[in-house]
Amino acid sequence: MNGALAEIEHLLRRLTPVVLSGLVARYGQFEACEDAVQEALADAVVQWPRDGVPDNPRGWLVTAARRTLVDSWRSEAARRRREHDVAVRDPSVAGPAVPGADVRAEDGVSGADDTLVLLFLCCHPALTVPSQLALTLRAVAGLTTAQIAAAFHVPEATMSQRIRRAKQDVRAAGGRFERPVPADLPGRLAVVRQVVYLIFNEGHTATSGGGLDRPDLAEEAIRVARLLRELRPDDAEVAGLLALMLLVHARRPARQGPDGALIPLDEQDRGLWDHGLIGAGLDLLHAVLGRGPVGPYQVQAAIAALHAEAETAESTDWPQILALYQVLERLAPSLMVSLSRAVAVAHVHGPVAGLAMIGSLGADARAAHSHRVDAVRGHLLERTGDSDAAREAYLRAARGTANTAERRYLQIRAARLADHRS
Amino acid sequence: MKYMLMLFGGACEPTPERSAEWFQGLGELMMSLDAELQAAGELVAGHGLVDATKARTVRFVDAAPVPTDGPFAEVKEALAGYWVIEAGEERALEIASRVVAYTRFPMEVRQVMNDSLDQ
Repeated sequence: MNGALAEIEHLLRRLTPVVLSGLVARYGQFEACEDAVQEALADAVVQWPRDGVPDNPRGWLVTAARRTLVDSWRSEAARRRREHDVAVRDPSVAGPAVPGADVRAEDGVSGADDTLVLLFLCCHPALTVPSQLALTLRAVAGLTTAQIAAAFHVPEATMSQRIRRAKQDVRAAGGRFERPVPADLPGRLAVVRQVVYLIFNEGHTATSGGGLDRPDLAEEAIRVARLLRELRPDDAEVAGLLALMLLVHARRPARQGPDGALIPLDEQDRGLWDHGLIGAGLDLLHAVLGRGPVGPYQVQAAIAALHAEAETAESTDWPQILALYQVLERLAPSLMVSLSRAVAVAHVHGPVAGLAMIGSLGADARAAHSHRVDAVRGHLLERTGDSDAAREAYLRAARGTANTAERRYLQIRAARLADHRS
Repeated sequence: MKYMLMLFGGACEPTPERSAEWFQGLGELMMSLDAELQAAGELVAGHGLVDATKARTVRFVDAAPVPTDGPFAEVKEALAGYWVIEAGEERALEIASRVVAYTRFPMEVRQVMNDSLDQ
């Protein structure tokens, strides 16, 4: 793909949430507006390379989308539905006949706010997680259905349906294009942050730096997080989330071997880490720590920073990491946090102490994520020198995991112990 | 034409013959095959499955569907994964042979039905 086309695609993606949010602010009808914007984008991607990028690209898209909307309203059935909707469902939505609504849609000052409201809509708590992810990637990240489908390894038709259903679910949940009330705002922001982090975690490790054909979800999540940071510059947890993702993403080039097995942190070639991203993550973290209430993303970012700053695995500041996990466990307790703390305990107080900690975890917790528990137990047992028990634990973990890279890693780990025995 | 290549295996666990290097080689084989099929435009789908001990099977027993633990085939070798490729039978057999040469597990190769109305 040539550079000019790529630039146009990037421009269109940046404009998507701005254009869409402006239209939904004015007309309501999230579904119809989203469809209309998609059509306008599809037209632009054909016409702009041919005719040149218009002087006012955003205005061009708004006009094109609005034309599609009006055309669809002209059909008798659609008009009846709209009148019904406007009268019954969205009495507060200003239709095109209301003066002043035009000004708001064109007003750049409210544009940023509208994008934030759009994010809230896409991350509506009533939606399923897959719907939240797909809708956010479509409406805020500006990916096409084909791109989102490719990123999630599902057929395009399937993803198209998922997005259609998601938009319907927004309507069914009574999702309105308005900022949540102040009391709800922190909770809704937490959901938005969570959705962004989930997108990040869906990023496939198999291909790094996907092109526009198959976008890299980790990079998309970082883009949306940057956007969110622009919209909420005083939100320390947003900054923490972005810092965390930058620091974790920096390690990706070192995370998988040619045999498809994952390479754990202490074995990674740190020369392969992206030190530019690490620098950006560290700078962001230092700017934000202490500026607002400490939250789980900031703490996780601080832990990631300690790993990133260690030149070798051996020089890692484990006592400090352990202290941070203790904080994290108070802020956002979970089995994964407890397991990670057990690993830190083992580094500071020895593997037996780590094993004891795991033993103290509730039976429910152990059962729910048993293969993770087994994997950590395997590591710690190996470090105590109990090869047979370690091998057993690794094999149990390998049988329990649904992740290919993780399974390969655990099988190799178990096999190494058998090799040493004989 | 499309073919499904099904890999049947026992629990893929380390043994004296299956060392760490063997597992590493297996990983490299799988990754390179995926890449080769992808590059040739032949790959339609390819998935590994979780361990067969995690499977559940629903059978019709006494006039009702009944789920039980375990895979369908209560034998040593269960379905471990599959590819669907768009290629001729020769090519499908060639791919399967390369995998079997390494894993020594059997692979079934069967044509996938097409849904076209004019044939």
